[in-house]
Formats: sequence, C-alpha cells, structure tokens
Amino acid sequence: MSGHATTSLHHGPPGAARRIDVEPARWRDAAREALDAGLRFSGLFGIEGAGGVMAAALFGRSGEERLLVCDPGPATIVPSLLGIVPAADWDEREAHDLYGISFSGHEPLRPLVHHSDDLDSWTVEVGGEDTHQVAVGPIHAGIIEPGHFRFHVVGERILHLDLRLFYSHRGLERAAEGREPADALRHAQRACGACAVANSVAFAHAWESAGGLWPDAELARARTTLLELERLYNHLGDISAVCAGVGFAPGTAAFAALKERALRLNRSLAGHRFLFDSVAVGASRLQVDESRARRAREELRELADESARAWRELRFAGSLQERLAGVGVVSREQALRHGAVGPAARACGVARDARTLSPRLAYGDFSPARPPSPTGDVAARVDMRAVELEQTLGLLDGLLGRAIEPARCEPLDSAAHGGDVGVGRIESPRGESVCVVSAHDGRVARMHLRSASYANWPLVAQAARGELLPEFPLINKSFELCYACCDR
Amino acid sequence: MFLLLRQLQRLRRQIALPPEERRGSLALRHVDTGSCNACEHELAATAGPHYDLQRHGLNIVASPRHADVLLVTGPVTRRMAGPLRTAFDAMPEPRLVAALGDCALGCGVLGSRAELAGPLEEILPVALRIPGCPPSPQAIADALLELLALHHGWTR
Ligand code: SF4
Repeated sequence: MSGHATTSLHHGPPGAARRIDVEPARWRDAAREALDAGLRFSGLFGIEGAGGVMAAALFGRSGEERLLVCDPGPATIVPSLLGIVPAADWDEREAHDLYGISFSGHEPLRPLVHHSDDLDSWTVEVGGEDTHQVAVGPIHAGIIEPGHFRFHVVGERILHLDLRLFYSHRGLERAAEGREPADALRHAQRACGACAVANSVAFAHAWESAGGLWPDAELARARTTLLELERLYNHLGDISAVCAGVGFAPGTAAFAALKERALRLNRSLAGHRFLFDSVAVGASRLQVDESRARRAREELRELADESARAWRELRFAGSLQERLAGVGVVSREQALRHGAVGPAARACGVARDARTLSPRLAYGDFSPARPPSPTGDVAARVDMRAVELEQTLGLLDGLLGRAIEPARCEPLDSAAHGGDVGVGRIESPRGESVCVVSAHDGRVARMHLRSASYANWPLVAQAARGELLPEFPLINKSFELCYACCDR
Repeated sequence: MFLLLRQLQRLRRQIALPPEERRGSLALRHVDTGSCNACEHELAATAGPHYDLQRHGLNIVASPRHADVLLVTGPVTRRMAGPLRTAFDAMPEPRLVAALGDCALGCGVLGSRAELAGPLEEILPVALRIPGCPPSPQAIADALLELLALHHGWTR
C-alpha cells in the first residue's frame, strides 16, 4: 500500500472521476478550462440516463479525471468542441450516430459508425483535373481485419483518404450495460484479441477506482507482467508485418518466429496464447511459481538475444531501410493536434506514455523510450518498436524475478473516493487506451472504451497524404492499428 | 541478411516439420466478419515458419475468385453480412465454407443483438467447423489438412 500515499491528491485516488455538470452554453468554456488546467482530452461519448441522452467529455491525466456532462435539452444539440479539441472529431461523429446528439459548429457532421450508401455523405469532395477514387475493402487481399478505404488520387498520388471502419462494430458497450463487472470485463477483453490485457486492465482499473479499491503490490506486478507480455508479442509481430509490407521475407519470417515463441511463453505462464481471462476485477488470475518464473526469464533472455541479433540484421539491410525512410511522415505538430498516442506519437518526438503515470501498476520510475531519431516516418515507427522491445524485455526480467503469488485489491480508507465513475488509462502496445465505467447498484451502467487505435486512426489518413498508393500498406502496417477495438 | 537466413535455416531444422507426404492443394480465402482479431493472428501463424501450411498446398489467396474454401472468422456483424455474401457468390464451384473460431460457430458470442446478423450457419452452408477461442495454429492446420485429405480422396 505504498503507492497511494504519494498520489492521494485532493481529487481522490487516481482514476476516480469528478463529474461536473455543465450547461450547453458553458460546454466549450468548461473544456477550455480543463485544457488550461493541464488535462488532456480523453474521449467524448453519449450516455443514456433516466432523463434522456447526455453528452460526456473526459479530460484528465493520472491524478485527476474530470468528466464534463452536458444535458443537451430536448433539441439534443451541444456546441462542438472541434475548434478547441480537433481530436474530438470521431467522438462527436460517433455520439451523433449512436446517441443522436448533434454538435453545432461541426459541419458537415459525417456519419462514422453508421454506413450510408450515399457516398457524398461520408467522403470529402476532391476535385481537379484527373482526380479519381480508388475503393479498397472491406475485404482485403491478406489476412486482415475489415475496413474500407477510399483513396482520392491523381495517378498514383494520394490526395486524400477517407476511412470507413466499424465493420466489426458488435455493440459491445451497449451489451455490457447492466452486467456484473466480471461479465462486463469480458466484453472489454473480447473487444480486441491483440489488446485483450490492456483493455481488461483498463476496465478493471476503472471499476476499482469507482469502487474505491486499490490493488496490492502483488496484483500490480501480476498485471504489469501481463501488459508487458502483451506488448512483447505485439511489437515482434509489428516488426514482422512491416517487413512483409515491403516484401522482405527473411525479416518477416524471423520476427514471426520470435512472435510465435512469445505466444508459447504466454501459454506456459498464463494458460492462453493471447492471455485471455488472465485479468479479473479486484483479484489476480496470474500465479507463477518460482521455477516457472525462472524458466520464463531464461526464455526471455534468449528471446532478447535473438531479437537483438535479428534486428541488427534489419538495420544493415540497405534495401529494407531505403524503403522505410521518409515514408508516411507525421509531424510532431500533427501528432499533438490530433492527440496521437503510443509508439506512433513517440516516433515524432511526443514523449507520452501512460506507463509513466500508473500508480496502480508496478512501473516504478519508468520513463518513455526515445526514438533514435524522431522523424515521424515509417522508419521511426519501426525503430520505436525495437527500442521499446528492449525496454519491455528488461522490465519483464525484473518483474519475473520471483514467483507471482495470489493477490487482490484492498479497500481504500479514504473517505472521499470519487463516487461512481472510474477511469482506467493503460498504455497498450499501440498507445494509451482509456476506459470509463460508471457503476450503479454493483452493475455497469455505462462502459466506454477509447482505444489507442481509435485515437490514432485519423493519423493514418494524414500520413497517407501525398504518398503513392502502393506505399499505403506499408504506412498502415507501421501504425499496425486494430480495427476490432476501434469498432467495438 | 546472410545471418538472418542462416538463423532461419537453423530454426527450420529445430522445428523438424513432418514431411509433406501427399499431393493436392486448396486455395483459401479468409473473411473477417467482425472477429476480435485473435483468430486472424492464429490463422496467419499457420503460414509462419513453425507450421508452414503452404508446403502442403494450402494457400491463402487474394481473391474469392481463386478460392476453393471460404474461411470465415467472427460472429458476422450487420455490416459484414453483405460483403460476406458477395465474397461467397464470387467463388467458383465447387466451393465450401469453413467456420474458424467459436464466434463463427455462434458459440459464446458477445455483442448487441441489433448489431449482429449471424450466426454464420444461417447465412451460408458451413462444411467445416474449427472450434476454439481462438483455435490454435495446430488445430487450424490439422483441420485444414483433414479437409485436404477428404478433398483428394486420401486418408491421413
Ligand atoms: S472465437 Fe475468440 S478469438 Fe476468435 S474472434 Fe471470437 S472472441 Fe476472438
């Protein structure tokens, strides 16, 4: 219980959200004040209550979470935050599609989750001599999740890209409403196979924050271990995917083989290759005895050696490096403006990582990895994976230094814990994912999951601008975003 | 590069995959109808160095027009039901549908009724079922080899 002594701010324990009700006329001002207070925009969504539909916007960082809630009245219109928070673009479109809230000033308010046959309703008009459109998907040529891309091109040059995702929309948030926390957690977990741990720990943190629970040190270590195991196989797989994106088969195969080893290690430690069902609310589901921990560390050290060796080979493969440099550039300004997260943000010099502010986890005095050169291109995003891989392997070596024992949460003695809304922020392999949960009578009233992929997808479209059409698969793979946890 | 290839060669010897003893091939087309993506990871792994299904003549092809088998993952969301049918209709006959993973089998599906069009069985005729959440690459490999055996009239 050492953690929260240092973090017991006057706002309550980290994760507990302070709800502030705001009139539509004050909505923008309240958002601006939150930003001025150093809080970051972390999602906007609709809530359905007894009194009708309301808009909610989350601003925060670990230590303070401010949930602005606005009753839009019978006309269901609130002012758009777009002018202050460009990153709210998709959120407002989603809240309009799913909750019928209109946002004055957001024009045109294009559909996002809803799919319309009317092309003009969701694509940007691009004109000029010789411009035409290339439509790709939702079914792609490889083993890829569904999504539709509409490229506006001249010849092969991409002028603009409209994304239409949400083919994997399963209505998981709605389906989680009214459920017991353990059941709702499964919904967060199955939202995405590749971020299963990140999403479930985000949910667990949110629920525990709302209920005034604090994980003991052993639980923090168990969850941190799982999160890093998830990052390990993802980053290995991402490097493999980028090699595949330029047809560099030896690199693809070498890193696919390393990823397979990481998945087998997951199975031996947690009983599942993708670590499913290894996270529970208020308790630990991961126990590792002394000898298994030792064997896991040995395997991880071998993995570290081999991945370092394979990475060195990639560094010196001139034909590969030539293809990565200068492609799909995202500037630091763009990243900040659009609220980019994760390796993609760090690759252009935005040193943001939710692990630095995670008192509920066992990251200690973590500081984000730095890219060799923050050029914001495909090369920098791949380099970032390699640097973080090394960091993750180092963390795991420490985390598995001894057995992981049964663990649980303890109630906080603090009289003023937040109330019934909690927030969990987790650095998934793709960046910060945020889960907001409101509780009612021991059940989930509303769960909202804004995954790192959701935050970064608009950046993919930005990065594609001005590039050649055949470069797109490579650019896309350098972000390697999920469709499943974006779509939910 | 040279080192990398040597490392892969060594890996190949270590894994010591059984020899491919029979002839024949099946072209597979995959459609994700709203899966969580773990089924995709495992399907992709069957093409990786530890399983290497291609050496049995099992290939993932780029178009349903070239495919014998439609490998379907996910619970079939409302938005993917149309594209799924289009892909099936584009396939030449004889063709068959394989359900990959519990979601595609309609087991333990999570989501809102209004957003789901599945189960797959009610949309397309399913000939092969590969259970698991997700099925392991070995399970996928075994099921597909079984199918290949049936298809070419030899027994494994
Ligand atoms: S069967 Fe399991 S692994 Fe496969 S898509 Fe469904 S939830 Fe994901």
